[in-house]
Amino acid sequence: MKSLYEKHGAALAAYACSCGLDHASAEDVVHQLFAKLLGDKAFVPLSPLAYLYRATRNASLNLRRDRKRETNLERTDFWLVHPAGDQDEILYLQQALRQLPEEQRETVFLKIWSGMTLLEISEMTEIPLNTVASRYRYALEKLRELSANKGRS
Amino acid sequence: MSLFDQETERYLKEFRPREIREFAVAAQGRSVLWTPLIAAAAVALCAGGIFWFASHASRYTNHVAYVQPPALSVTSGSHNRSIMSLTSLGFTDNKRLEARLAEESRKSLPAFQGEHSSLKVLAKD
Repeated sequence: MKSLYEKHGAALAAYACSCGLDHASAEDVVHQLFAKLLGDKAFVPLSPLAYLYRATRNASLNLRRDRKRETNLERTDFWLVHPAGDQDEILYLQQALRQLPEEQRETVFLKIWSGMTLLEISEMTEIPLNTVASRYRYALEKLRELSANKGRS
Repeated sequence: MSLFDQETERYLKEFRPREIREFAVAAQGRSVLWTPLIAAAAVALCAGGIFWFASHASRYTNHVAYVQPPALSVTSGSHNRSIMSLTSLGFTDNKRLEARLAEESRKSLPAFQGEHSSLKVLAKD
């Protein structure tokens, strides 16, 4: 469980942020999910990572819905890091990821930041490989479109 | 995957998720271990209490059951024996029977000559 947290915790928190949470709340969501998995010994998901991604998304959307009336999202909250430290580039990508449909965004996170292959994602999520590959391709295409629009604006 | 896709993928991989604070796995594990221990201690305490209560209650009831019957049997046995001896004495020697009854009555009946005897007070009235 600890290795799962060390390997995927940051990506899960970033995924929670892409669902509309600030980074501190995203950390709380991820911590609570891992604590639940550790506390409930009787509950062992078949695919822990798939469960964590789904549970992170659901918890994030619920939390965001509850807080919607209270606070506005912090637009300069960074949940991605770039070696060059280009903050504009980070904010642009974060915004672009948030515009992707849920299933495409999840595929991108699993592939890029959880280091899984499309076949592994297909097996883990029990979705046909062709569907997973299409989602990934559409996501990349959408990100390119958004990048082109940004270049024009 | 097209060249465009590969390029976009390379671009995305330049970024990495921001680090998150360490997860207190040890603390979580400790709290999880405490729960069954506390439950086991509570069960042992309850079982001990029930056992103690049961043993004390049975000791009390055994004592009563043990003491009472012999006392009753002894009393009734001696009572029967004295009745039989007095009856046989009544057939053989009437004077001795009267003397024996007078002697026995002094032992078993209350003394009416006492200073605070209610019978004496009533007799005066």
